[in-house]
Amino acid sequence: MDVVLVAALLVPPVSAALVALLASRRPAAAAWYSAVAMPVSAAAAVAIAIRLAFGGAPVVVGQAWRLDALSALLALLIGLVTTLATWLGPGLNRQSVPSSETRPFRVYAGLFAFTMLVAVSTSNLGVMWVSIEATTVTSALLIPLRRTQAAIEASWKYLLIGSVGIALAFTGTVLAFVDYASTGRDPAVALQWMALVAAAPSLHPEVAQLAFVFLLVGFGTKAGLAPMHTWLPDAHSEAPAPLSAMMSGVLLAVALYAIARWKAVVDLAIGSAFTDTMLLVVGTVTVFVGSASLLSQTQYKRLLAFSSIEHMGLACFALALGPLGVFAALLHVTGHALAKSVAFLLSGRIYDRYRSADIDHVPGLLGTSPPTGILFLAAVLALAGLPPFSLFLSEILIVQAAWSAGHPLLTALVLLLILLAFASLLTHVQHMLFGEAPADVARDEGGRLRLAVLAVPLAMLVWIGVALPEPLRMLLSRAAEVVGR
Amino acid sequence: MLLLALVVLWRHHVPAYVAAFRMQSIALAFVGAVVARYGGVPELFFVAALILVLKAWIVPRILSRMEARRPADAALQPLVNTEMSLLVSGALAVAAYELSRPLAEVVSLPTRGGLPIALALIMVSLFVVVSRRQVIAQIVGFLMLENGIALLALLGAYGVPLVVELGVFLDVLMGVLVMQALVPRMRRTSGG
Repeated sequence: MDVVLVAALLVPPVSAALVALLASRRPAAAAWYSAVAMPVSAAAAVAIAIRLAFGGAPVVVGQAWRLDALSALLALLIGLVTTLATWLGPGLNRQSVPSSETRPFRVYAGLFAFTMLVAVSTSNLGVMWVSIEATTVTSALLIPLRRTQAAIEASWKYLLIGSVGIALAFTGTVLAFVDYASTGRDPAVALQWMALVAAAPSLHPEVAQLAFVFLLVGFGTKAGLAPMHTWLPDAHSEAPAPLSAMMSGVLLAVALYAIARWKAVVDLAIGSAFTDTMLLVVGTVTVFVGSASLLSQTQYKRLLAFSSIEHMGLACFALALGPLGVFAALLHVTGHALAKSVAFLLSGRIYDRYRSADIDHVPGLLGTSPPTGILFLAAVLALAGLPPFSLFLSEILIVQAAWSAGHPLLTALVLLLILLAFASLLTHVQHMLFGEAPADVARDEGGRLRLAVLAVPLAMLVWIGVALPEPLRMLLSRAAEVVGR
Repeated sequence: MLLLALVVLWRHHVPAYVAAFRMQSIALAFVGAVVARYGGVPELFFVAALILVLKAWIVPRILSRMEARRPADAALQPLVNTEMSLLVSGALAVAAYELSRPLAEVVSLPTRGGLPIALALIMVSLFVVVSRRQVIAQIVGFLMLENGIALLALLGAYGVPLVVELGVFLDVLMGVLVMQALVPRMRRTSGG
């Protein structure tokens, strides 16, 4: 049974990439295949998540694969967001997109999804590192899909900073491994999650600290945490919209997942005081950078990118706040994945319509295309942390956890920054929605069905925000238990 | 082994980055082989051979080809001058010794004396990446960083598990291939 689940999770994306690679003459067929295959992967993730939510045993296949509640949550998000991205990606509609974009997109998007899924479902933290590093390569190749100078430079910057950052994470991994190997246990299983957790209490405190610093800087680079976030606004704004959705919605979450895993190990070795302090500092700085930069943005995709930085900062901050904080962080990451991927996917439609990335050049969105405008407004409101969306709930929980963990000053500061982000997002989006649209902008609305698909994640956000569904609540609290016992 | 770190340190100002990287990789493979022989870890022979093929042969060849396609007049212009670079590298090396003190306490293998060198190599390579503007210098800096980590793993624990090792090799190869695919495009679009 477990074998089937893991196979159903991992095979569809890699097969989609293969089909797109081999069927070079028929990109449309390959696109349809991936649009049918990815939901299978998402369904497997749902099945795994349901089983773990109701207290089932982790899904284990041999030594290599192990999905506990935390992995299941991430796999679920990856499955959902990737499905959305494949449905709205190039190749499925007849208009506007040149077919030369279809094939590379399908190949690399499939591989990208595959590497992310491997990262969360492997039991070996070394393999986790390898696949997170591979996500850099697979996604960097897709950024310059339209071959503009800015996109190629963004891709280069991302590749270099990402690779170097992730190399530092590997240094941390190796340090932890060296530490483990010298406790005299079997080095062959050293980076296996269970073995590592069992050995954690006997790790050397100072080495564990050193390792965690490297790991936080390294995976923090991938998660867009300040001050290593500089690649993120360029990469996310230059990438094609479906890729931006995947990178922002789930890749950042996967990097945060890696930090959370290692935090659990290091906490067992030296208690949580050290990691909590590090995460609080990095998280607060990141929220500050994200919020402060939101106000001065002139392009809507960069606006969304800085909003990602802000939200990742919040989640990182929350990871340091005990069990309630970890729960809130995971809920926040969930909400962010749904809202941000919808916002980025819509930004692609807005760009296709107006042919401009500037906020000032896309007025009158509600007039030219009411459905797109309304959905975009809803996604941005969700990202701004307005009720009834789930990000409101998780932000309240984060503030509450920070307060009860005894950080009144930090709580006030973060609250202030959240309000600042809220105000800047609303100011900017208001410029886009109202006003008079340029005369040459098309007013018809194609692909309504696919637009309707985007209403589903928003409805889920409202559902989670209004009445946190019991299965999700249980999944989140079990996942939080993995991070901090 | 100290020589290994020195190679990077003084090759700082020489344009022959690629040659330095090749020499460093050969030295790394040699360390791997020595550890395999005296540490009694036969898998490491395999790893050493892989290092030799990939990092001392394939990757330098790709880099040289990139170098050959580069316009000849472009000189390597570091953001920080040579004297300053050497000073900073010296400081980083001292810092690495300080940082690795707890590590040396933990490791009981005979190779632990080399651990500070590995950390110094990692930090100096990182410095190379951030202080050079030239793309090839940045790539070489990144690859040297990888070498530093490999050295750390070799000396600290006689190498990481084989699956991880292979994955790392694959990533390095893919990374370099992608980088080399991007670089000419970057020039073509900028008209240079």
